[in-house]
Amino acid sequence: MDFTPLSNALTAKSYDKVADFCDELMLKAAAEGVPFQDEWPYAIHLLGYIYVNDVNSARFLWKSIPSTIKEGQQEVAAAWNIGQKLWTHDYSGVHEAVRHFDWSEQTRPLVAAFAEVYSQRIFRLLLSAYSTISIQDTALFLGMNEDDATKYVVGQGWILDSASQMLTVKKQAVAVEQKLDSDKLQRLTEYVFYLEH
Amino acid sequence: MEAGKRKTEEEQQTLVDRKRKAEISEPPPPTTTTTVTMNAVETLVTQIQGLSGSPNDVVALHAHLNKVDEALRGESARLLPFLDQLDPSIHSLGYLYLLDACTSGPVSKELAANLVLITSRFITSCSTEQIRLAPEKFTGMCKRFKDQVLLIEAPMRGVAPLLVAVRKVQPSSEHLTSLHPDFLQLCLLAKCYKTGLSLLEDDIFEVTQPRDLFLYCYYGGMICIGQKHFQKALELLHNVVTAPMTSINAIAVEAYKKYALVSLIDNGQFSPGLPKYASSSAQRNLKNFCQDNNLGLVKQVVSSMYKRNIQRLTQTYLTLSLQDIANTVQLNSAKEAEMHVLQMVVLPIQDGEIFATINQKDGMVRFLEDPEQYKSSGVIERIDSSIQRLMTLSKKLTNMDEQMSCDSLYLAKVNSKDNLAKENVSFLSLCWNIDK
Repeated sequence: MDFTPLSNALTAKSYDKVADFCDELMLKAAAEGVPFQDEWPYAIHLLGYIYVNDVNSARFLWKSIPSTIKEGQQEVAAAWNIGQKLWTHDYSGVHEAVRHFDWSEQTRPLVAAFAEVYSQRIFRLLLSAYSTISIQDTALFLGMNEDDATKYVVGQGWILDSASQMLTVKKQAVAVEQKLDSDKLQRLTEYVFYLEH
Repeated sequence: MEAGKRKTEEEQQTLVDRKRKAEISEPPPPTTTTTVTMNAVETLVTQIQGLSGSPNDVVALHAHLNKVDEALRGESARLLPFLDQLDPSIHSLGYLYLLDACTSGPVSKELAANLVLITSRFITSCSTEQIRLAPEKFTGMCKRFKDQVLLIEAPMRGVAPLLVAVRKVQPSSEHLTSLHPDFLQLCLLAKCYKTGLSLLEDDIFEVTQPRDLFLYCYYGGMICIGQKHFQKALELLHNVVTAPMTSINAIAVEAYKKYALVSLIDNGQFSPGLPKYASSSAQRNLKNFCQDNNLGLVKQVVSSMYKRNIQRLTQTYLTLSLQDIANTVQLNSAKEAEMHVLQMVVLPIQDGEIFATINQKDGMVRFLEDPEQYKSSGVIERIDSSIQRLMTLSKKLTNMDEQMSCDSLYLAKVNSKDNLAKENVSFLSLCWNIDK
């Protein structure tokens, strides 16, 4: 089986394309009637979906994996474990699932990249959703220990109140682009003309 | 049998040219019996090889193939070996007719496994121009391909080929083909929901068979449900439920159940009444049914209820304690309430459902207004593209309206005797007014 497009994507770190390449290759193999299940990189396929936050597709893929592989290949089960935690919104569970497995050389960079993207996503969620939050919860969400978590968020401008063990979130102002081009005027003329007729 | 001999290319070509010249002027005698000798098939194969070069040749070949089609089908069991002598990418039309004849008889499971591979390779490599000369035959053969794939219980094997088939046979991406629902059905069975979704992104404006649209919307709705695109699922299922039908059918009933459940998940409410343009049989029969076979959806309805109730709170309160939220919405603890609110909050990039900030210090939640001021260029881009799409759609509707006003069936229905009489009277009165 020719996995070149997939290996290229992994080497080039285009992790967002991994799932698409896996889908294409899998359908091609199926069309040729090749029994691909035994040598298929299910772990990478699952992680590809998880990287782009498509937990629905990861679930359907997991359902289609033969049970012998689910039980036999631990890395596949470990990859799904991450997906499961995402599915149940177990934010701190995701970090645990990432850490508590010894990933193979092939999957380690992908998992690390996901962990990075996920932490950033969680941080943005905290910014949006909280005005004050306990140090304990912050640490759980970010998957760090309490000291590291505190240091990190204080570095981002949050304010620590050691007495109550609370952090005050600093909202980031969203830059809003407001300039108008001349071709917008052209378009407005088109719309008015259209509405008149 | 001369199967062992290998002629040079030139010799073959001259022989073929001669045969071609002979046969076009004198077509072989019409076979009224259902059998055909193997010699005749050999001849046919050579003809196909010779006549697949230029578009004119192919048209002539097409006419000839139509004449012998009936006879070929009678010999379906013995035609398979002849396919090896043809190249599916060059001799696509001839290959299509032979392959179609092969599959016209009953197909056993073993034969199906063999045919599936041959057909899938044919679909991928065949020439689009050639197969578009015989679209119904191509479509029919692809539908049988789908049946074979299901017979050998390997739906995934048909997904990629059928997608290719759809693209090759449709005149444009706005046309619905009979193969659309077959493709979606395989995606569902193979659990390739994401691939199915890619076809559903096309806007359909041209439909020839209403039944195709019916099934397309039903399967499409199910795929959207699987990927949690509830809004689109509702649109598609709505089409199924309001389709014209003289009597109720099982698909409409299933679609209605899913429609009701998705409506509850997405909008938090559902009104059992169907719009006026739904068929009368649908309106009468769809109101009574019991929930079954839709357990996954029912579970999602239950969990969405919490979201719905919290959302309702944002309309009444500016701030509320987490404990109060838990009590009102019937969650077990303030912490659970916090988790639910967190799941619903808007992320700068992802779409969420409420605007709120949690204050853990006080255990309170503050509900906020949508900060969008609709001033940024991003918003302007979105409005622009929406308006462009609406203008295109409006033009299409005007065209369709004009075409329908000229349609004889429509005019016949509209101009019944009474109407005609009324129109005559008003026309006359108009004439009088002009005269005066």
